[in-house]
Amino acid sequence: MSVDPRQRFDGQPGPVGERLYAQMALIRAFEERLLLLFDQGELFGTTHCYIGQEADAVGIINHLRAGDVVFSNHRCHGHFLAYSDRPELLLAEVMGRDTGLVGGRGGSQHICYEDFYSNGVQGGIVANAVGAAMAEKLTGGGAVTVVFLGDGTLGEGIVYESLNMASLWGAPVLFVVEDNRWAQSTPVDKELAGDMVARGRAFGMSASEITSTDAVELYERFGALVEQVRETGRPHFEVIHTYRLCHHSKSDDRRPEEEVERHRADDPLPKLAARLAPGRAEALDREAEARVDEALAWARAQPFPEASELGGARAKA
Amino acid sequence: MPEMNMVQAINDALASEMRRDDRVVVLGEDVGKVGGVFRVTAGLYDEFGEDRVLDTPLAEGGIIGTAIGMALYGMRPVPEIQFADFIFPAFDQIVSEAAKMRWRSGGEYSCPMVIRTPVGGGIRGGLYHSQSPEALFIHTAGLKVVCPSNPYDAKGLLLASIRDEDPVLFLEPKRVYRAVKMDVPEGDYEVPLGKAKVVREGSDVTIVSWGAMVYEALAAADTAAAEGVDAELIDLRTLWPLDVDTIVESVKKTGRLVVVHEAPKACGFGAEVVQLVNEKAFLHLEAPPARVTGWDTPFPYSMENEYLPLAHRIAPTVLETARF
Repeated sequence: MSVDPRQRFDGQPGPVGERLYAQMALIRAFEERLLLLFDQGELFGTTHCYIGQEADAVGIINHLRAGDVVFSNHRCHGHFLAYSDRPELLLAEVMGRDTGLVGGRGGSQHICYEDFYSNGVQGGIVANAVGAAMAEKLTGGGAVTVVFLGDGTLGEGIVYESLNMASLWGAPVLFVVEDNRWAQSTPVDKELAGDMVARGRAFGMSASEITSTDAVELYERFGALVEQVRETGRPHFEVIHTYRLCHHSKSDDRRPEEEVERHRADDPLPKLAARLAPGRAEALDREAEARVDEALAWARAQPFPEASELGGARAKA
Repeated sequence: MPEMNMVQAINDALASEMRRDDRVVVLGEDVGKVGGVFRVTAGLYDEFGEDRVLDTPLAEGGIIGTAIGMALYGMRPVPEIQFADFIFPAFDQIVSEAAKMRWRSGGEYSCPMVIRTPVGGGIRGGLYHSQSPEALFIHTAGLKVVCPSNPYDAKGLLLASIRDEDPVLFLEPKRVYRAVKMDVPEGDYEVPLGKAKVVREGSDVTIVSWGAMVYEALAAADTAAAEGVDAELIDLRTLWPLDVDTIVESVKKTGRLVVVHEAPKACGFGAEVVQLVNEKAFLHLEAPPARVTGWDTPFPYSMENEYLPLAHRIAPTVLETARF
């Protein structure tokens, strides 16, 4: 079974704005529920929410076809839900259940599903994405690989090895930097020198940037970029300047309140809701809540994995 | 049957597997036209072309990282790290990505790749061209670690490694590369992973070693024989998964154990071997298990032969252990 986000998205009725909104509402409702469940003590570990950045995921991933590959990061819920539309599998995973995405082994940050991968170690996946794209190129597969980085990840050396190799070898990769202005608790001006887009250009690949939380605008732009990568077989480096409206994980928010408040005006959900037919956004919000209710009911009923999985060859040695 | 040294045997394994399976690709620093610094990949570029023999930038993390992506998408990459001493920039990729792929995908995805890298002393390379970092990778759950001691095993183990569904770290003892020649079949054969080999049978003391030190241990066993001590020598061949049964069976017979490796002693793989024997054959032991190893210092330049656990250092320990 292969996931085809574009076919799913194109096959739905209604205007593009409404369909994008519905996906963003699901991501928002899902993550707000996660935070609530943490507060209520039902979840363990930690989680990194995407609140405020939902427009990126839906703007990009709906252009991917069956076989296209997504490498995500610790902040993966939005990417995953836009890719898979399977909130119950992710919720069961976050709840550590055996029937979660990876059997309760990964939790919030470490998931695999079909051609989707995420990992909490920063930067490393970028090289893996280039390798996946090279395999597709060398075997004539024709898939596009998208890898999501953040402004903080641009501090990692492997990113530049990967950009170099992608450009040298002509790997069909779309590098997407979601610049949300903060690497955990460190503001971008304390963690990154120089220009973000110039980093891509320096390696001889096309590179550009956009400042937007408008899902429709991003959707239109990335339609062209995904096809460019597919047609040219060459990498592209795109920076989206956005903002994270929630904390980094659960309790490490030291951002000035007035800064966060200022960015609330750019919240992608109300921004798009205002352009939908009257009452539509509220109806889609309710549908999203209902889907999360349903996912939670299913996930709660799932079993935890067995400890007998542990050890393997080592236990036998 | 042609005589081959280990370089030729590994080259033959790569070439024959690349002919048999077009998913196999080789990538690394200078592996293309020049055939790698030890010429292990010589001729592959000319035969298979630049799409299957990729010269890479100086980017160990990038080499392993892209190989992982290739492995996930249907290829069988065999990346080379020019010296094991250069593997540390790729440590994150090996430990965080390759080793954990099967586990973190709930068993759904595997990462079939073989990381080839020369290890150990033998070229007077000093501290960045001589190390034996196997214990770091054995400690990392999710990896297999192989270290052949001779050309025949090198070819058969490499073929088995490339065909394995999981990541394998293939350590090539550079001291052996061109020092040993033996008959190696031209055709296809595998030496199974996870199987040690008793290379000398004996009844008084068990010596466990691998890689280049097998020859030193063998020489020490000859020295001991001249003094009336009959040593059994086990060449592990695969370090992980460890063939613990072969070791335990031998120790139950001899009651005595000496482990020999080039790497430093502290937390070296010898410690694990000794403790597994303690756990599984303690009541059979007639003497404290011993280790003869490299020193707990960085690898030296001018004192290579003093650093390595050569036969003249192994033999006294074998005799002491046998006579305890």
